[in-house]
Amino acid sequence: MLYDKWWKILAVILFIYILFFGILIPLKPGILNVSPSRFNAGDQVSVKVEGYNSFFLKEAELWRAFIKIDSIHSLQAYEINVISDTELSSKFNIPANLPSNLNLLSASFILDHPKSGAMLIPSKIILSQDSINLASAESSWLNKTKLKLHYRSSFEFPYRNILYETIRNTFYHVSLWFAMFIFFGFSVYHSIKFLKHHKIEDDLKSNALVNTGILFGILGLLTGSLWARFTWDTWWTKDIKLNMSALTMLIYIAYIVLRASIQDIDKKRRISSAYNIFALVAVIPLIFVLPRLTDSLHPGNGGNPAFGSDDMDNVLRMVFYPSVIAFTLIGLWIASLKYRLDYCSLKIEDIDE
Amino acid sequence: MKLLSFIILSLLSLPLFAQNNMNDYMRQTGKIYVVFGVILIIFIGIVIFLIRLERKIKKLENKINHE
Repeated sequence: MLYDKWWKILAVILFIYILFFGILIPLKPGILNVSPSRFNAGDQVSVKVEGYNSFFLKEAELWRAFIKIDSIHSLQAYEINVISDTELSSKFNIPANLPSNLNLLSASFILDHPKSGAMLIPSKIILSQDSINLASAESSWLNKTKLKLHYRSSFEFPYRNILYETIRNTFYHVSLWFAMFIFFGFSVYHSIKFLKHHKIEDDLKSNALVNTGILFGILGLLTGSLWARFTWDTWWTKDIKLNMSALTMLIYIAYIVLRASIQDIDKKRRISSAYNIFALVAVIPLIFVLPRLTDSLHPGNGGNPAFGSDDMDNVLRMVFYPSVIAFTLIGLWIASLKYRLDYCSLKIEDIDE
Repeated sequence: MKLLSFIILSLLSLPLFAQNNMNDYMRQTGKIYVVFGVILIIFIGIVIFLIRLERKIKKLENKINHE
């Protein structure tokens, strides 16, 4: 397995595939901005909508705009004027009362078209009212028919409001972490084998895999930090998943330090294999269980695993699954090179004696 | 050397092309292909490095197996 070439060539081909499609597939049309976005009940307002990757001019008469408070309360625009492919103005008559006991309410803005699909900018519109009259509000806001929004099925990535184009990082940043876990799991397999049969190759393999895993983990931290800088406006936050992944790196760097600190070779191999097993057992609840118990900005936490309909999409999956395989194979190549190098150095020492 | 500085300087001038939207920064009139090309070049460089390492190790292994 280590010396065959086929999986290495597959790794390179898959990598070029995910680079090409990951960078060049366009985003679905979406709403960049709506302005103004603060309205008083009873106003007649004209909302200017800026689109991204949109073609408002195509079949312009079929556009519909909605201000949506929740699934049963929404308001349709009575007039839509398309200014250009990316600019559109919609006019609303906001009723005199809002369906709520509060004076301030947030609503989403939706644009819908049979070809372009539905575009949503969540919670952007702020509505205020001076007096509360639920009865009259219900009669004006309650949906008389279903909105019947369209879905654009095309070979395009989903448009998400905070991410915009950086959704492409899913294939590069997330795959690094998946690959890292595969390496750590595989290395524990070799550590267990080593502790059972005491074959030096197993210890060398598990060491090579841990080192590659640490490399990918550090790359994951760096890429995640850069991604956060441009979407969350900070290089690091006190988010639990980030802290736990930094902790994982520290745990595995301790493995390297442990290995370097013991002089007796047999003892070194056995103790570091045992530590490796403990490390994986410790890391699994830290990274998979704890972040799901709390709310977090990081996708995949706050109760739901990642890759639900908010984080993953079928077109994304088409590039994401190959990217996990590509990163895993490249990492296995790097690990196998390190293993073979260590094995050769060991053999040379034996021959020299 | 000239080609390298040309590439670096043209990448550095990309911010000048940014319009009102920071969000479609790269995705305009073909600049996204530059990003793809850059990353592809980096990746091919890494692959070439790995292939060289692989050849050196194979030579070492053959030497050891023949002794």
